[in-house]
Amino acid sequence: MSIEKPSSMRSLTLSAPARALRIKQLAQRLEVRMLLLAILIALCLSMLSPYFLTRSNIFNMLDQSVVIGIVAVGMTFVILTGGIDLSVGSLAGLTGILLGLSLQHMPIVPAIAVAVAAGAGIGLVSGLLINLFGLAAFVVTLGVMAIGRSLAYIVSGQTAISNIPDAMQAIVYTNVLGIPSNVLFLIILYIVAWAYLAFTKGGRTIYAVGSNKEAARAAGLNTLFYSVLPYVLSGALSAVAATFSISQILSADPLMGNSMELDAIAAVVIGGASLYGGRGSMIGTLFGVFIMVMIRNGLNLMGVSPFWQGSAIGTIIIVALLVERLVSSRVNQ
Amino acid sequence: MQPLQSPRQPLMAARAITKTFDRTRALAGANFVLAEGEIHGLLGANGAGKSTLSKIMAGHYSFDSGEMVYRGHPLQLRSTRDAIRIGIAIVMQETSLVPDLTVLENIFLPELGRPGRLDYRALRLRCAGLLENLGQEDSLPLDWDVRRLSSAQKQLVEIAKALGVGAKLIIFDEPTASLSPGEVDRLFDVMTRLRAADHGLVFVSHRLEEVFSITDRVTVMREGRTVLDGLPTAQLSQAELIRAMVGAELGAIYTEPHAANSATEQRPVALSVRNLSSTPAVKDVSFKVHAGEILGVGGLVGAGRSEAMEAIFGLRRRTGGEVLLDGKPLREQNPQEAIRAGLGFVAVDRRTQNIVPDLSVKENLLLAHLGAHRGLFRAYQTREHRVQELMQRLGLPQERLMDASMLNFSGGMQQKIIIARWLLLDPRVLILDEPTKGVDIGTRASIYSMLRDIVAEGVAVVVVSSDFEELLGVSDRIVVMSDGRSIADLPSTALDEEKLTLLAAPRTSMARNTELLDALAHEYNGAGFWTLIEGDRFICLNSVVTRPALDPGFKPGDARGLAETSIPRALRQREAIFVPEQDGSRTTLVIPMRSPRGHDLGWVGLSLPPDAALPPPELIKSRIDSLAATL
Repeated sequence: MSIEKPSSMRSLTLSAPARALRIKQLAQRLEVRMLLLAILIALCLSMLSPYFLTRSNIFNMLDQSVVIGIVAVGMTFVILTGGIDLSVGSLAGLTGILLGLSLQHMPIVPAIAVAVAAGAGIGLVSGLLINLFGLAAFVVTLGVMAIGRSLAYIVSGQTAISNIPDAMQAIVYTNVLGIPSNVLFLIILYIVAWAYLAFTKGGRTIYAVGSNKEAARAAGLNTLFYSVLPYVLSGALSAVAATFSISQILSADPLMGNSMELDAIAAVVIGGASLYGGRGSMIGTLFGVFIMVMIRNGLNLMGVSPFWQGSAIGTIIIVALLVERLVSSRVNQ
Repeated sequence: MQPLQSPRQPLMAARAITKTFDRTRALAGANFVLAEGEIHGLLGANGAGKSTLSKIMAGHYSFDSGEMVYRGHPLQLRSTRDAIRIGIAIVMQETSLVPDLTVLENIFLPELGRPGRLDYRALRLRCAGLLENLGQEDSLPLDWDVRRLSSAQKQLVEIAKALGVGAKLIIFDEPTASLSPGEVDRLFDVMTRLRAADHGLVFVSHRLEEVFSITDRVTVMREGRTVLDGLPTAQLSQAELIRAMVGAELGAIYTEPHAANSATEQRPVALSVRNLSSTPAVKDVSFKVHAGEILGVGGLVGAGRSEAMEAIFGLRRRTGGEVLLDGKPLREQNPQEAIRAGLGFVAVDRRTQNIVPDLSVKENLLLAHLGAHRGLFRAYQTREHRVQELMQRLGLPQERLMDASMLNFSGGMQQKIIIARWLLLDPRVLILDEPTKGVDIGTRASIYSMLRDIVAEGVAVVVVSSDFEELLGVSDRIVVMSDGRSIADLPSTALDEEKLTLLAAPRTSMARNTELLDALAHEYNGAGFWTLIEGDRFICLNSVVTRPALDPGFKPGDARGLAETSIPRALRQREAIFVPEQDGSRTTLVIPMRSPRGHDLGWVGLSLPPDAALPPPELIKSRIDSLAATL
């Protein structure tokens, strides 16, 4: 995964064969292919529903991308190291309840801090269990997923917490330069995460750890720290996602985030990451999130029954991956 | 010679086999003829193609061109299952057993796939029959899970499994690599019985001792070709085999003889290792490397060399001893601290320990930089200049830096990039574990010249290698390891391959030799020793001293002139009588030790006080001969 690509401006002045090469190189980049796929899906859906490409629906879709998009960032980090985090959904539920309860006792900012710290702490425990004791990530996070959801019910007393202060809405419904603040947060988060993975020592270490942990260790990289970090981040971002979700509906439900881990993993994988680690990117994940949201939104617009939507989304994910696999083996020939 | 060439009907004949993996040519015309009822040694240095050829015969790989004939029929195997069906089986180091099934179930694993109920009683009886034929009735607990077995027992299960499916041709791929001496004896006993039952056995190995003691004929491979085609073992000498394995052209790839040793001795010590241990593989390792010197570390597979290097570098926990870099102890046991202190390490397994496949060539090159670097950012640009310099030195075009994967390069180029990864950091000491494994001969030469270059710049280099020719060719000094201990530290000019083999192979010979020396020294209350003598110089392999006054003046691993010892006369004279020394301090008997095939195994000596009652020399000689006969 090299990230030094020469400025695309220069391609305008290239000769024909060089331009052909440049196009081929572009086609080799997964993100480019994912962008094309996203555009293709958008075109199809816009033909099926005239409402799909309207301004309000686009903003609606961006709004729907925020929660899943935030969780997918942490998931990308985890999957890049070759791990998996099944606990994000139930952690969103648990930290959401913690946030709801904290808001009864303290101002907004410390309450959010409590929720985020709780998510990070649980992520730290998972990360240490996985990397210090060599337990399988799948099993550990499956266990944490069950515990998290159960605690969410117990702490909340099995009911949603609805007396959330109205001021929380400011987190979502403030417009900056015409962009809703939650969408802006998502954009900034992706830029920061992308830059971290591409340009920092830690980011490159995460790729190296996922690709060949033993070689990374032998080269002096701190493999333990950068194997645990993604789980901490994933836990913390689950809490951040919960915060945005609660600000929108002004209610904290212990059921929140149910099966969110599946959407997040699907988005990351559609975005081209390898579940074996070492391969994937933030840009790919962002397109993966958009594709997931567009499909769901499109199906809703067309009035497809929610019971059928699961089948439709599952099929589309598998077909998209299959096509991508066939195309990429052709392009990389 | 003709009648001996193929004593019986050929079981398998492979002719002009070629095989190419990606871009590397593993076989370029390999011939191999195996007869029924023989044990046939298949030899070669690392990367000679012996493993590839045996895996082709066992159906693991298909071949590109050539011809294979099995029992008179042309053969094209598509899978190991094909091979097993017609009676070809391979016994490998990493066994193909299922650890959670019992011994019995593993032996009859192929039967488990058949429909219908299994008759365990019948299987048990068949199994007992198989083991009885091997003379191993009681060696295997049939109801144990295989994971509880020792590696020798697992091997026996593999052999029984091969016989269970009626294998006629059995390939043993380095079967002795992890066995103790007693277990090797037992394995050879089993192999002898199989030979008597008309099986054809292929014995893949690079241990010459064992090849001489078990095989009937030998085929030697080099650079993917057969260079010595099925000659009777008894007609060959060790030197001839080594020459065939190594080839004459290799001598030329080592550049001019090493700088005078006196010069390197005066340079500062860059790395010093004292009594290092890392249980269980590393027991007691000590050595020093000077700046501007190449130190070779030799020994057999399993001697604990890689483990010792990993312990030095911090990849493996040290359980004792210390490591000093430029005189400063390396306390922290992790690679990052070692790298920052100026150590570099090219680990033994390129694919699993060195290459990061999903990073570009450039990032692979910069990986150790990333490990050593402090700070938030990756700071690649700080090394830009040096990267370009190194690319030129490697002969790699700039644009290939951006190649998405290291795996598109040949093994040799990959290795050069990995070495460059460390050169980028300008290390004080660079440790390379088997740097030319799986590397073609051209690239080998350029790796050697790379090493010479960096040594000339004052870097201390440690090269671990199982290839004795290579060790002798590149190193200024050689430390030999055996059984987790460093047992000799000698200038390479004082060594040759036979001496190295003797020094490195003590796990069988040394223990029993020590027993003998011990017995002699105690019975007669004197000092016993075992040495190699050449001209007026000698190397001590072993010594046992019961009386300090009789100390011969050398310890195991010492090499010096005969005149510098306390027993120069006896060592010079070397006759079958006790020779008194000039100073009257002792009288010494020195007797040659020869293997049954006539190989020089050095000299065994016994020093006694001048006034002691001297035993008859013939008595001592017969004891030494009986040891040599079974060594």
